Amino acid sequence: MKETLKRKIIAEIKERLDKDKYDIKDELDLYGNIQIWLKLYDRKDILHIAQIVKDFGGRCVIISAYKKDDHHVLVYHLDIDGILLNVEVELFDNTVDSITPILKSADWTEREFKEMFGIKLLNHPNPKRLFLDESIAEGILGEYMPLSQAMNGAATCSMWEKIESERHKDEQNN
Amino acid sequence: MSKITKIPIGPFHIGLEEPIYFKIDIEGESVKNVDMINGFVHRGIEYLAMQKNFFQNLILTERVCSLCSNNHPFTYVMAVEKIANIKPTKRALYLRVVADEVKRVASHMFNLSMLAHLVGFHTLMTQTMEAREIVQDIKESIWGNRMDMSANTLTGVKYDVDKEQIDYILKRLKELEPQVDEIMDVYFNNKIVKARTKGVGVLPYEDALRLGVTGPTARGSGVMNDVRIKAPYAAYDELKPKIIIEKDGDVYSRTKVRWREVKDSIRLIRLALKNLPQGKVVLQKRPHIPAGEAVSRSEAPRGELIYYLKTNGLQKPERMRWRVPTYMNWESLRVMIPGNKLTDVAVIFNSIDPCISCTER
Repeated sequence: MKETLKRKIIAEIKERLDKDKYDIKDELDLYGNIQIWLKLYDRKDILHIAQIVKDFGGRCVIISAYKKDDHHVLVYHLDIDGILLNVEVELFDNTVDSITPILKSADWTEREFKEMFGIKLLNHPNPKRLFLDESIAEGILGEYMPLSQAMNGAATCSMWEKIESERHKDEQNN
Repeated sequence: MSKITKIPIGPFHIGLEEPIYFKIDIEGESVKNVDMINGFVHRGIEYLAMQKNFFQNLILTERVCSLCSNNHPFTYVMAVEKIANIKPTKRALYLRVVADEVKRVASHMFNLSMLAHLVGFHTLMTQTMEAREIVQDIKESIWGNRMDMSANTLTGVKYDVDKEQIDYILKRLKELEPQVDEIMDVYFNNKIVKARTKGVGVLPYEDALRLGVTGPTARGSGVMNDVRIKAPYAAYDELKPKIIIEKDGDVYSRTKVRWREVKDSIRLIRLALKNLPQGKVVLQKRPHIPAGEAVSRSEAPRGELIYYLKTNGLQKPERMRWRVPTYMNWESLRVMIPGNKLTDVAVIFNSIDPCISCTER
Protein backbone atom coordinates (compact mmCIF):
# COMPACT_ATOMS: atom_id res chain seq x y z
CA MET A 1 0.00 0.00 0.00
CA LYS A 2 2.81 2.40 0.91
CA GLU A 3 4.52 1.49 -2.36
CA THR A 4 1.40 2.49 -4.34
CA LEU A 5 1.16 5.79 -2.47
CA LYS A 6 4.85 6.46 -3.14
CA ARG A 7 4.32 5.88 -6.87
CA LYS A 8 1.29 8.19 -6.87
CA ILE A 9 3.25 10.97 -5.13
CA ILE A 10 6.19 10.68 -7.52
CA ALA A 11 3.86 10.64 -10.54
CA GLU A 12 2.14 13.78 -9.28
CA ILE A 13 5.48 15.56 -8.79
CA LYS A 14 6.58 14.61 -12.31
CA GLU A 15 3.29 15.85 -13.70
CA ARG A 16 3.39 19.27 -12.06
CA LEU A 17 7.09 20.20 -12.35
CA ASP A 18 9.22 20.84 -15.42
CA LYS A 19 11.44 17.89 -16.23
CA ASP A 20 14.84 19.56 -15.92
CA LYS A 21 14.07 21.50 -12.77
CA TYR A 22 14.38 18.78 -10.14
CA ASP A 23 16.15 15.56 -9.08
CA ILE A 24 14.20 12.88 -7.30
CA LYS A 25 15.18 9.65 -5.55
CA ASP A 26 13.52 7.41 -3.03
CA GLU A 27 15.03 5.16 -0.41
CA LEU A 28 14.16 2.72 2.32
CA ASP A 29 15.55 3.36 5.77
CA LEU A 30 17.00 0.56 7.93
CA TYR A 31 13.50 -0.36 9.10
CA GLY A 32 11.88 -0.42 5.65
CA ASN A 33 10.15 2.99 5.77
CA ILE A 34 9.96 4.99 2.55
CA GLN A 35 11.59 8.41 2.25
CA ILE A 36 11.59 10.52 -0.89
CA TRP A 37 14.39 13.04 -1.48
CA LEU A 38 13.68 15.83 -3.93
CA LYS A 39 16.03 18.61 -4.98
CA LEU A 40 14.43 21.66 -6.59
CA TYR A 41 16.39 23.98 -8.87
CA ASP A 42 13.72 26.66 -8.92
CA ARG A 43 12.78 27.87 -5.44
CA LYS A 44 9.29 28.87 -6.60
CA ASP A 45 8.41 25.22 -7.22
CA ILE A 46 8.10 24.67 -3.47
CA LEU A 47 4.60 26.12 -3.78
CA HIS A 48 3.65 23.33 -6.20
CA ILE A 49 5.09 20.73 -3.83
CA ALA A 50 3.17 22.20 -0.88
CA GLN A 51 -0.02 22.00 -2.94
CA ILE A 52 0.66 18.36 -3.81
CA VAL A 53 1.20 17.54 -0.12
CA LYS A 54 -2.02 19.34 0.76
CA ASP A 55 -3.94 17.44 -1.94
CA PHE A 56 -2.70 14.16 -0.47
CA GLY A 57 -3.82 15.28 3.02
CA GLY A 58 -0.23 15.63 4.26
CA ARG A 59 1.44 18.13 6.57
CA CYS A 60 4.66 20.02 7.07
CA VAL A 61 6.73 18.34 9.78
CA ILE A 62 9.61 20.80 9.94
CA ILE A 63 11.95 22.85 7.75
CA SER A 64 15.70 22.72 8.39
CA ALA A 65 17.87 25.63 7.28
CA TYR A 66 21.63 25.70 7.04
CA LYS A 67 24.36 27.81 5.49
CA LYS A 68 26.29 26.48 2.51
CA ASP A 69 29.18 28.64 1.31
CA ASP A 70 27.61 32.07 0.70
CA HIS A 71 23.92 31.13 0.63
CA HIS A 72 21.27 29.29 2.62
CA VAL A 73 19.74 25.91 1.95
CA LEU A 74 16.31 24.84 3.18
CA VAL A 75 15.26 21.22 3.61
CA TYR A 76 11.49 20.81 3.90
CA HIS A 77 10.38 17.65 5.67
CA LEU A 78 6.80 16.88 4.63
CA ASP A 79 4.74 13.89 5.70
CA ILE A 80 2.11 12.10 3.64
CA ASP A 81 0.58 9.26 5.65
CA GLY A 82 3.90 8.06 7.07
CA ILE A 83 5.96 8.67 3.92
CA LEU A 84 8.51 11.41 4.46
CA LEU A 85 9.16 13.78 1.57
CA ASN A 86 12.40 15.75 2.00
CA VAL A 87 12.68 18.71 -0.37
CA GLU A 88 15.96 20.59 -0.71
CA VAL A 89 15.90 24.15 -2.03
CA GLU A 90 18.96 26.39 -2.41
CA LEU A 91 18.26 30.09 -1.90
CA PHE A 92 20.69 32.12 -3.97
CA ASP A 93 18.76 35.36 -3.41
CA ASN A 94 18.10 34.63 0.28
CA THR A 95 14.36 34.78 -0.35
CA VAL A 96 11.64 32.13 -0.30
CA ASP A 97 7.88 32.01 -0.79
CA SER A 98 5.92 31.06 2.31
CA ILE A 99 4.01 27.78 2.12
CA THR A 100 1.95 28.63 5.23
CA PRO A 101 -1.05 29.86 3.17
CA ILE A 102 -1.19 26.32 1.75
CA LEU A 103 0.04 24.26 4.71
CA LYS A 104 -0.79 25.91 8.01
CA SER A 105 1.52 23.47 9.80
CA ALA A 106 4.53 25.34 8.36
CA ASP A 107 3.68 28.55 10.26
CA TRP A 108 6.11 28.31 13.17
CA THR A 109 9.03 26.73 11.39
CA GLU A 110 9.02 29.40 8.65
CA ARG A 111 9.03 32.15 11.24
CA GLU A 112 11.86 30.38 13.02
CA PHE A 113 14.24 30.23 10.03
CA LYS A 114 13.30 33.82 9.21
CA GLU A 115 14.48 35.08 12.58
CA MET A 116 17.37 32.68 13.12
CA PHE A 117 18.94 32.86 9.65
CA GLY A 118 17.57 36.15 8.32
CA ILE A 119 15.97 34.51 5.28
CA LYS A 120 13.39 36.75 3.56
CA LEU A 121 9.93 35.24 3.62
CA LEU A 122 7.32 36.29 1.06
CA ASN A 123 3.56 36.29 1.75
CA HIS A 124 3.59 34.79 5.23
CA PRO A 125 0.18 35.50 6.81
CA ASN A 126 1.60 36.09 10.28
CA PRO A 127 5.27 37.15 10.04
CA LYS A 128 5.58 38.02 13.73
CA ARG A 129 8.66 37.00 15.70
CA LEU A 130 8.46 33.47 17.10
CA PHE A 131 11.07 33.11 19.83
CA LEU A 132 13.31 36.17 19.65
CA ASP A 133 12.39 39.65 20.76
CA GLU A 134 11.93 42.39 18.12
CA SER A 135 15.01 44.16 19.48
CA ILE A 136 17.26 41.27 18.40
CA ALA A 137 18.41 41.37 14.78
CA GLU A 138 17.38 38.62 12.36
CA GLY A 139 19.98 36.04 11.40
CA ILE A 140 21.17 35.79 14.97
CA LEU A 141 22.24 32.15 14.78
CA GLY A 142 25.49 33.19 13.15
CA GLU A 143 26.39 35.65 15.91
CA TYR A 144 27.48 35.54 19.53
CA MET A 145 24.60 36.38 21.85
CA PRO A 146 24.72 36.63 25.67
CA LEU A 147 22.24 34.30 27.39
CA SER A 148 20.43 37.05 29.31
CA GLN A 149 19.65 38.87 26.06
CA ALA A 150 18.61 35.70 24.24
CA MET A 151 16.23 34.87 27.08
CA ASN A 152 14.36 38.10 26.48
CA GLY A 153 15.82 39.59 29.63
CA ALA A 154 14.23 36.89 31.78
CA ALA A 155 17.40 36.67 33.87
CA THR A 156 17.40 40.39 34.69
CA CYS A 157 14.86 43.04 35.68
CA SER A 158 14.57 44.44 32.12
CA MET A 159 11.73 42.10 31.18
CA TRP A 160 9.62 43.17 34.15
CA GLU A 161 10.17 46.81 33.33
CA LYS A 162 8.99 46.14 29.79
CA ILE A 163 5.85 44.30 30.92
CA GLU A 164 5.07 47.05 33.39
CA SER A 165 5.32 49.73 30.71
CA GLU A 166 3.17 47.73 28.26
CA ARG A 167 0.51 47.05 30.88
CA HIS A 168 -0.32 50.73 31.07
CA LYS A 169 -0.42 50.90 27.29
CA ASP A 170 -3.12 48.20 27.29
CA GLU A 171 -5.20 50.11 29.83
CA GLN A 172 -5.04 53.26 27.74
CA ASN A 173 -6.31 51.38 24.69
CA ASN A 174 -9.37 50.22 26.57
CA MET B 1 -22.54 45.86 26.22
CA SER B 2 -20.12 43.87 28.31
CA LYS B 3 -16.53 44.97 28.47
CA ILE B 4 -13.61 42.86 27.35
CA THR B 5 -10.98 42.52 30.06
CA LYS B 6 -7.38 41.63 29.30
CA ILE B 7 -5.66 39.25 31.68
CA PRO B 8 -1.94 38.55 31.41
CA ILE B 9 -0.71 35.20 32.73
CA GLY B 10 3.01 34.54 32.88
CA PRO B 11 5.73 34.42 31.81
CA PHE B 12 6.43 33.36 35.39
CA HIS B 13 3.30 32.38 37.22
CA ILE B 14 2.41 29.95 39.96
CA GLY B 15 -0.09 28.21 37.68
CA LEU B 16 2.48 27.60 34.96
CA GLU B 17 5.12 24.92 35.06
CA GLU B 18 7.31 26.62 32.48
CA PRO B 19 7.67 30.20 31.23
CA ILE B 20 5.12 31.31 28.65
CA TYR B 21 3.23 34.58 28.39
CA PHE B 22 -0.52 34.40 27.75
CA LYS B 23 -2.62 37.44 26.97
CA ILE B 24 -6.21 36.46 27.50
CA ASP B 25 -9.23 38.58 26.54
CA ILE B 26 -12.27 37.68 28.59
CA GLU B 27 -15.85 38.79 28.36
CA GLY B 28 -17.77 37.94 31.50
CA GLU B 29 -16.41 34.49 32.38
CA SER B 30 -15.57 33.19 28.97
CA VAL B 31 -12.39 33.59 26.96
CA LYS B 32 -12.79 35.54 23.73
CA ASN B 33 -9.26 35.45 22.41
CA VAL B 34 -5.84 34.27 23.44
CA ASP B 35 -2.40 35.43 22.40
CA MET B 36 0.79 33.65 23.34
CA ILE B 37 4.33 34.96 23.44
CA ASN B 38 7.22 32.49 23.48
CA GLY B 39 10.96 32.67 23.66
CA PHE B 40 11.74 32.90 27.36
CA VAL B 41 13.80 29.72 27.43
CA HIS B 42 15.42 29.79 24.00
CA ARG B 43 18.96 28.63 24.74
CA GLY B 44 20.47 27.98 21.32
CA ILE B 45 21.01 24.25 21.93
CA GLU B 46 20.94 23.56 18.17
CA TYR B 47 23.96 25.79 17.73
CA LEU B 48 25.67 24.09 20.67
CA ALA B 49 25.02 20.65 19.13
CA MET B 50 27.08 21.65 16.09
CA GLN B 51 30.09 22.39 18.35
CA LYS B 52 30.05 18.90 19.92
CA ASN B 53 31.17 15.56 18.55
CA PHE B 54 28.81 12.64 17.96
CA PHE B 55 29.35 11.12 21.40
CA GLN B 56 29.07 14.41 23.27
CA ASN B 57 25.77 15.00 21.50
CA LEU B 58 24.35 11.86 23.14
CA ILE B 59 24.71 13.64 26.46
CA LEU B 60 23.49 16.98 25.14
CA THR B 61 20.37 15.70 23.37
CA GLU B 62 19.26 13.80 26.47
CA ARG B 63 19.15 17.13 28.26
CA VAL B 64 16.91 18.97 25.81
CA CYS B 65 13.82 17.76 27.64
CA SER B 66 13.28 15.97 30.92
CA LEU B 67 10.09 13.93 30.57
CA CYS B 68 10.86 12.70 27.05
CA SER B 69 14.63 12.75 27.59
CA ASN B 70 15.07 9.19 26.33
CA ASN B 71 13.51 9.93 22.94
CA HIS B 72 16.04 12.58 22.00
CA PRO B 73 19.19 10.41 22.03
CA PHE B 74 17.05 7.53 20.70
CA THR B 75 16.04 9.48 17.58
CA TYR B 76 19.46 11.09 17.25
CA VAL B 77 21.29 7.73 17.22
CA MET B 78 18.87 6.44 14.60
CA ALA B 79 19.86 9.34 12.33
CA VAL B 80 23.57 8.71 12.91
CA GLU B 81 23.16 4.97 12.32
CA LYS B 82 21.33 5.66 9.09
CA ILE B 83 24.22 7.75 7.78
CA ALA B 84 26.74 5.12 8.92
CA ASN B 85 24.44 2.37 7.57
CA ILE B 86 24.63 0.30 10.75
CA LYS B 87 21.61 -1.51 12.11
CA PRO B 88 21.98 -2.46 15.78
CA THR B 89 21.31 -6.02 16.94
CA LYS B 90 17.74 -7.10 17.63
CA ARG B 91 18.51 -7.30 21.33
CA ALA B 92 19.58 -3.65 21.34
CA LEU B 93 16.44 -2.62 19.44
CA TYR B 94 14.21 -4.45 21.92
CA LEU B 95 16.03 -2.88 24.83
CA ARG B 96 15.54 0.54 23.27
CA VAL B 97 11.81 -0.12 23.19
CA VAL B 98 11.78 -1.23 26.84
CA ALA B 99 13.51 1.98 27.94
CA ASP B 100 11.24 4.12 25.79
CA GLU B 101 7.99 2.57 26.94
CA VAL B 102 8.99 2.81 30.60
CA LYS B 103 9.61 6.49 29.97
CA ARG B 104 6.24 6.85 28.24
CA VAL B 105 4.37 5.38 31.22
CA ALA B 106 6.16 7.75 33.60
CA SER B 107 5.56 10.77 31.36
CA HIS B 108 1.87 10.11 30.78
CA MET B 109 1.19 9.43 34.44
CA PHE B 110 2.90 12.66 35.40
CA ASN B 111 0.73 14.64 32.99
CA LEU B 112 -2.42 12.86 34.17
CA SER B 113 -1.66 13.53 37.80
CA MET B 114 -1.21 17.21 36.91
CA LEU B 115 -4.69 17.10 35.40
CA ALA B 116 -6.08 15.80 38.69
CA HIS B 117 -4.23 18.60 40.48
CA LEU B 118 -5.68 21.25 38.15
CA VAL B 119 -9.25 20.06 38.55
CA GLY B 120 -8.76 20.22 42.31
CA PHE B 121 -8.89 16.47 42.97
CA HIS B 122 -5.77 16.22 45.08
CA THR B 123 -6.21 12.73 46.47
CA LEU B 124 -6.36 11.46 42.89
CA MET B 125 -3.21 13.38 42.07
CA THR B 126 -1.26 11.85 44.94
CA GLN B 127 -2.61 8.40 44.12
CA THR B 128 -1.45 8.73 40.50
CA MET B 129 1.95 10.01 41.56
CA GLU B 130 2.29 7.19 44.05
CA ALA B 131 1.58 4.60 41.37
CA ARG B 132 4.03 6.40 39.06
CA GLU B 133 6.67 5.96 41.74
CA ILE B 134 6.80 2.27 40.80
CA VAL B 135 7.97 3.27 37.33
CA GLN B 136 10.48 5.67 38.83
CA ASP B 137 11.79 2.78 40.97
CA ILE B 138 12.20 0.65 37.86
CA LYS B 139 14.15 3.45 36.17
CA GLU B 140 16.38 3.95 39.19
CA SER B 141 17.05 0.23 39.63
CA ILE B 142 17.76 -0.63 36.00
CA TRP B 143 19.27 2.57 34.58
CA GLY B 144 20.51 4.13 37.82
CA ASN B 145 18.65 7.39 37.42
CA ARG B 146 15.10 8.62 37.86
CA MET B 147 15.03 10.97 34.87
CA ASP B 148 17.88 10.75 32.34
CA MET B 149 18.33 7.05 31.72
CA SER B 150 21.25 7.28 29.29
CA ALA B 151 20.04 4.06 27.68
CA ASN B 152 21.09 4.73 24.07
CA THR B 153 24.48 4.90 22.46
CA LEU B 154 25.72 4.83 18.87
CA THR B 155 25.08 1.36 17.37
CA GLY B 156 23.28 0.00 20.42
CA VAL B 157 22.38 0.52 24.03
CA LYS B 158 24.48 1.18 27.12
CA TYR B 159 22.71 -1.32 29.37
CA ASP B 160 21.80 -4.98 29.40
CA VAL B 161 19.32 -6.88 31.56
CA ASP B 162 19.86 -10.30 33.14
CA LYS B 163 17.15 -12.69 34.30
CA GLU B 164 17.04 -11.23 37.77
CA GLN B 165 16.49 -7.71 36.40
CA ILE B 166 13.79 -8.91 33.99
CA ASP B 167 11.99 -10.62 36.89
CA TYR B 168 12.26 -7.42 38.90
CA ILE B 169 10.68 -5.31 36.12
CA LEU B 170 7.88 -7.85 35.62
CA LYS B 171 7.23 -8.02 39.36
CA ARG B 172 6.92 -4.25 39.61
CA LEU B 173 4.67 -4.08 36.54
CA LYS B 174 2.41 -6.63 38.18
CA GLU B 175 2.15 -4.26 41.12
CA LEU B 176 1.53 -1.28 38.85
CA GLU B 177 -1.17 -2.65 36.58
CA PRO B 178 -4.01 -3.14 39.11
CA GLN B 179 -3.29 0.33 40.46
CA VAL B 180 -3.47 1.78 36.94
CA ASP B 181 -6.80 0.01 36.37
CA GLU B 182 -8.20 1.41 39.58
CA ILE B 183 -7.04 4.99 38.94
CA MET B 184 -8.07 4.87 35.28
CA ASP B 185 -11.60 4.05 36.33
CA VAL B 186 -11.70 7.24 38.42
CA TYR B 187 -10.42 9.40 35.53
CA PHE B 188 -12.92 7.83 33.14
CA ASN B 189 -16.02 7.83 35.35
CA ASN B 190 -15.66 10.23 38.26
CA LYS B 191 -18.18 13.08 38.21
CA ILE B 192 -15.72 15.84 39.12
CA VAL B 193 -13.15 14.82 36.52
CA LYS B 194 -15.79 14.44 33.83
CA ALA B 195 -17.42 17.76 34.67
CA ARG B 196 -14.10 19.56 34.25
CA THR B 197 -12.87 17.72 31.15
CA LYS B 198 -15.81 16.65 28.99
CA GLY B 199 -16.59 19.10 26.21
CA VAL B 200 -13.75 21.36 27.41
CA GLY B 201 -11.01 22.56 25.05
CA VAL B 202 -12.35 20.91 21.93
CA LEU B 203 -10.02 20.51 18.96
CA PRO B 204 -12.11 19.39 15.97
CA TYR B 205 -10.74 16.76 13.58
CA GLU B 206 -10.37 19.24 10.69
CA ASP B 207 -8.33 21.66 12.81
CA ALA B 208 -6.13 18.85 14.08
CA LEU B 209 -5.36 17.88 10.49
CA ARG B 210 -4.83 21.46 9.35
CA LEU B 211 -2.44 22.33 12.19
CA GLY B 212 -0.49 19.08 11.86
CA VAL B 213 -0.73 18.28 15.57
CA THR B 214 0.87 15.07 16.83
CA GLY B 215 0.73 12.56 19.66
CA PRO B 216 -2.18 12.15 22.07
CA THR B 217 -3.36 15.66 21.12
CA ALA B 218 -3.96 14.44 17.54
CA ARG B 219 -5.25 11.01 18.54
CA GLY B 220 -7.76 12.59 20.94
CA SER B 221 -9.23 14.34 17.88
CA GLY B 222 -9.33 11.22 15.73
CA VAL B 223 -6.10 11.83 13.78
CA MET B 224 -3.94 8.70 13.77
CA ASN B 225 -0.32 9.63 13.23
CA ASP B 226 1.46 7.44 15.76
CA VAL B 227 4.96 7.10 14.26
CA ARG B 228 5.33 3.66 15.88
CA ILE B 229 2.55 2.46 13.57
CA LYS B 230 2.83 4.77 10.54
CA ALA B 231 6.60 4.45 10.12
CA PRO B 232 7.78 1.71 12.52
CA TYR B 233 11.32 1.87 13.89
CA ALA B 234 13.42 -0.16 16.36
CA ALA B 235 11.35 -3.25 17.24
CA TYR B 236 7.89 -1.72 16.83
CA ASP B 237 7.20 -3.52 13.55
CA GLU B 238 7.35 -6.81 15.49
CA LEU B 239 5.80 -5.64 18.76
CA LYS B 240 2.86 -3.87 17.09
CA PRO B 241 1.51 -1.13 19.36
CA LYS B 242 -2.28 -0.82 19.46
CA ILE B 243 -4.06 1.92 17.54
CA ILE B 244 -5.51 4.15 20.25
CA ILE B 245 -7.87 6.83 19.10
CA GLU B 246 -10.73 8.97 20.47
CA LYS B 247 -13.05 11.13 18.41
CA ASP B 248 -14.39 13.95 20.60
CA GLY B 249 -11.26 16.12 20.68
CA ASP B 250 -11.82 17.40 24.22
CA VAL B 251 -9.61 17.21 27.32
CA TYR B 252 -11.48 14.06 28.36
CA SER B 253 -10.57 12.33 25.06
CA ARG B 254 -6.91 13.22 25.39
CA THR B 255 -6.97 11.91 28.97
CA LYS B 256 -8.49 8.65 27.78
CA VAL B 257 -5.89 8.28 25.03
CA ARG B 258 -3.06 8.76 27.53
CA TRP B 259 -4.43 6.20 29.99
CA ARG B 260 -5.01 3.62 27.31
CA GLU B 261 -1.47 4.22 26.07
CA VAL B 262 -0.15 3.63 29.59
CA LYS B 263 -1.90 0.24 29.54
CA ASP B 264 -0.54 -0.57 26.09
CA SER B 265 2.99 0.47 27.08
CA ILE B 266 2.87 -1.95 30.01
CA ARG B 267 1.84 -4.67 27.55
CA LEU B 268 4.69 -3.70 25.18
CA ILE B 269 7.32 -3.78 27.94
CA ARG B 270 6.18 -7.26 28.97
CA LEU B 271 6.13 -8.47 25.37
CA ALA B 272 9.57 -7.02 24.62
CA LEU B 273 11.07 -8.63 27.72
CA LYS B 274 9.39 -11.96 26.99
CA ASN B 275 10.65 -12.06 23.39
CA LEU B 276 14.03 -10.46 24.13
CA PRO B 277 16.46 -11.87 21.51
CA GLN B 278 20.00 -12.93 22.41
CA GLY B 279 23.02 -11.05 21.14
CA LYS B 280 25.35 -8.13 21.72
CA VAL B 281 23.95 -4.86 22.97
CA VAL B 282 26.41 -2.65 21.12
CA LEU B 283 28.08 -3.28 17.77
CA GLN B 284 30.94 -0.80 17.45
CA LYS B 285 32.63 1.27 20.11
CA ARG B 286 33.73 4.02 17.73
CA PRO B 287 31.78 3.83 14.48
CA HIS B 288 32.96 5.81 11.45
CA ILE B 289 30.40 8.45 10.47
CA PRO B 290 30.77 9.31 6.77
CA ALA B 291 29.39 12.39 5.02
CA GLY B 292 25.67 12.24 4.39
CA GLU B 293 22.28 13.36 5.55
CA ALA B 294 19.44 11.54 7.27
CA VAL B 295 16.07 12.10 8.85
CA SER B 296 14.72 9.93 11.65
CA ARG B 297 11.47 10.00 13.57
CA SER B 298 10.12 8.49 16.74
CA GLU B 299 6.99 8.69 18.84
CA ALA B 300 7.83 10.54 22.05
CA PRO B 301 5.22 10.56 24.86
CA ARG B 302 3.91 13.90 23.53
CA GLY B 303 3.99 12.94 19.86
CA GLU B 304 6.24 12.83 16.85
CA LEU B 305 9.89 13.77 17.33
CA ILE B 306 12.04 14.31 14.24
CA TYR B 307 15.80 14.71 13.82
CA TYR B 308 17.56 15.97 10.71
CA LEU B 309 21.30 15.37 10.62
CA LYS B 310 23.83 16.42 8.02
CA THR B 311 27.44 15.31 8.31
CA ASN B 312 30.59 16.07 6.31
CA GLY B 313 32.87 13.22 7.38
CA LEU B 314 34.26 15.09 10.39
CA GLN B 315 33.61 14.31 14.06
CA LYS B 316 30.89 16.95 14.49
CA PRO B 317 27.54 17.39 12.76
CA GLU B 318 27.49 19.98 9.99
CA ARG B 319 23.86 20.67 10.80
CA MET B 320 21.53 19.12 13.31
CA ARG B 321 17.93 20.13 13.68
CA TRP B 322 15.11 18.61 15.64
CA ARG B 323 11.46 19.32 16.25
CA VAL B 324 9.59 18.31 19.34
CA PRO B 325 5.86 17.47 19.45
CA THR B 326 4.83 20.52 21.49
CA TYR B 327 6.14 22.74 18.67
CA MET B 328 3.21 21.56 16.54
CA ASN B 329 0.62 21.21 19.30
CA TRP B 330 1.10 24.77 20.55
CA GLU B 331 -0.97 26.50 17.85
CA SER B 332 -3.92 24.22 18.62
CA LEU B 333 -4.37 26.13 21.91
CA ARG B 334 -5.69 29.06 19.86
CA VAL B 335 -8.49 26.76 18.73
CA MET B 336 -9.04 25.00 22.06
CA ILE B 337 -9.08 27.90 24.52
CA PRO B 338 -11.54 30.53 23.12
CA GLY B 339 -15.12 29.95 24.22
CA ASN B 340 -14.13 28.24 27.47
CA LYS B 341 -14.19 29.57 31.01
CA LEU B 342 -11.09 31.28 32.37
CA THR B 343 -10.77 28.57 35.04
CA ASP B 344 -10.43 25.95 32.31
CA VAL B 345 -7.43 27.58 30.65
CA ALA B 346 -4.89 25.78 32.84
CA VAL B 347 -6.67 22.43 32.34
CA ILE B 348 -6.67 22.88 28.55
CA PHE B 349 -3.06 24.06 28.55
CA ASN B 350 -2.04 20.94 30.47
CA SER B 351 -3.99 18.68 28.11
CA ILE B 352 -1.50 19.16 25.24
CA ASP B 353 1.20 18.06 27.73
CA PRO B 354 3.29 21.16 26.95
CA CYS B 355 7.05 21.18 27.13
CA ILE B 356 8.36 24.65 26.52
CA SER B 357 12.04 24.08 27.21
CA CYS B 358 12.36 21.56 24.40
CA THR B 359 10.11 23.54 22.04
CA GLU B 360 12.34 26.59 22.22
CA ARG B 361 15.61 24.70 22.65
